[in-house]
Amino acid sequence: MSNKRTLSLSASLLIGLTSSGAMAQQATLVVSNFAIAQDLMRKDLYAPFEAKCNCKIVVDAGNAADRLAKLEARKGNPEADIAVLADFTALEAARKDLIEPIDTSKLSNFNKLYDFAKDPIGKNYGVGYTFYATSIIYRKDKIEINSWADLWSPKLKNRLALPNITTTQAPLLLFMVERALNGTSPDFAASIDKIGSIKGDVVTFYERAAQLTQLFQQDEIYATVTGRYNWPLITKLNMPIAWATPKEGLTGGLNVLTVVKGSKNKELAYALINEWLSTEAQTRIANDLVDSPANRDVKLAPEIADQLSYGEDVAKSLKVIPPEQVLANRDAWIAGWNTKIAR
Amino acid sequence: MMPAMVFVGIAFLLPVVILLTEGLRTADGWSLARYLTFFSDGLSQEVMLRTLRLGFGVTLASAIIGYGIALTIANASALTRSRMTALFILPLMISPVARTYAWIVLLGRTGLINKALIGIGLTEEPLRLLFSETAVFIGLLQLFLPLMVLSLTSALENMPSDIIPAARILGANWITIFFKLILPLTREGLIIGGTLVFTGAVTAYITPAVLGGSKVLMLETLLYQRISIANDVATASVIAAILIAMSIVTHSLIRRLTSGKRSS
Repeated sequence: MSNKRTLSLSASLLIGLTSSGAMAQQATLVVSNFAIAQDLMRKDLYAPFEAKCNCKIVVDAGNAADRLAKLEARKGNPEADIAVLADFTALEAARKDLIEPIDTSKLSNFNKLYDFAKDPIGKNYGVGYTFYATSIIYRKDKIEINSWADLWSPKLKNRLALPNITTTQAPLLLFMVERALNGTSPDFAASIDKIGSIKGDVVTFYERAAQLTQLFQQDEIYATVTGRYNWPLITKLNMPIAWATPKEGLTGGLNVLTVVKGSKNKELAYALINEWLSTEAQTRIANDLVDSPANRDVKLAPEIADQLSYGEDVAKSLKVIPPEQVLANRDAWIAGWNTKIAR
Repeated sequence: MMPAMVFVGIAFLLPVVILLTEGLRTADGWSLARYLTFFSDGLSQEVMLRTLRLGFGVTLASAIIGYGIALTIANASALTRSRMTALFILPLMISPVARTYAWIVLLGRTGLINKALIGIGLTEEPLRLLFSETAVFIGLLQLFLPLMVLSLTSALENMPSDIIPAARILGANWITIFFKLILPLTREGLIIGGTLVFTGAVTAYITPAVLGGSKVLMLETLLYQRISIANDVATASVIAAILIAMSIVTHSLIRRLTSGKRSS
């Protein structure tokens, strides 16, 4: 019995040794990324890159808070090499000294980016790789939306879903409602009051965008506020749902690629970032409807462009919350939301 | 004995101690400050009350319905008994996620329940049942009722079968029989079932998250929010400690209530 066991033990040890030997020659690049569409990202970006670099890309997928916590826990000895973050999360990471400035002269594709994507959080801590518009989507056979103030129209009573404060979309909602109310305060006091006053008429404050398709399908809601990245999913419903262009404008967000401070594969990290920003990769990713391009050389067919947030004109028209404002006021928004809306 | 104690100590006790002390540790040493902040916050008070209300409500409702079903099962023939028990165990084998999602379809604006209510003329406009405390209550009750039925059935099966006819012959009515005979004799089953249902209901995550949403927060959904959005492990550990305390207190409360009935 013990002979057999020793044999299998040494066999597995041997396998372990040889495979780790092979691993030692092949570098592993760890990318901390959002969990959305990672299968398509592998096809469009990771796999083609792996074929060129003789390296292996491992994705650590998760929501922003989890991943930021992981970066903090591994400060100084990071597991991840590249962190993909929303602009304001990247600014938070930079302030916590978790990421490092990018030497953009090493990125041959850097100059192909739209200007707003080149240095969105300052000191080259991140390069924008995609952006999205956020607006109201609504059942055009039931109502008409021309303004963010239409969210509290009587026709939407018991037919409206709004993002919860736990999502990235809630601050964007408050930002635009504040504009519709002609408020100017960065703590969004007026809009939190307004949403608080209609909270009883709101069907739910959603936490996951995937919920929205079901709510539309079951006729629970006629309108909601969401990012353009959700639009392909919504159009698949084959329902008369429209994307609003309210008179106050559209809002949106920008995501960035960052290099984790202390990364042991810096050269590879730069190579992947450069590949990520390339016209070819950005086109593939856009054609699969994963991310809208931040590279201005990307040319998309009209039917693809229509599903995304495409082009410099769209990007320029977005009213975006400055990342500094998000960080300075987020606690106040959550506190205000918890006293006026969540209760 | 010793190795087992060491294993239990390391694998169970130590993590619980770490979890519970996390909420007491602050930058300036040990302090109750986090508990005080949590208890004085309006939102947490509301969430705690709702959790208790739903926990007790679901436990009470499952005990009442559970006794009805368990008595029927216990009095049935052996074959019917095993078939009915199997029927009750079956839902336990279906994922709570699937069961909870089924309620979304049933409770929706165009769902079966609203259609039935409109059909029999009880309401003209569909009621908003989803994302309400009622929806969470229904979901939790359906989820945990089988646990109550199972523990009451096994308690009733251990009860001598001739004592109810004997009491009837002596002229006892059904209320007396229930409170003087059935309840004291199935006390252990009720304590186990009640503790399981209450603990299950206050610590369930998926049901309040899906059927209640952010408008009907319970302690468990609030805990998840604290961790996943604010990365606030300390407050999350305060909530975990409160949930443990709630379950222990409820366990002894049910024990005391049912033993009180026996001595009276």
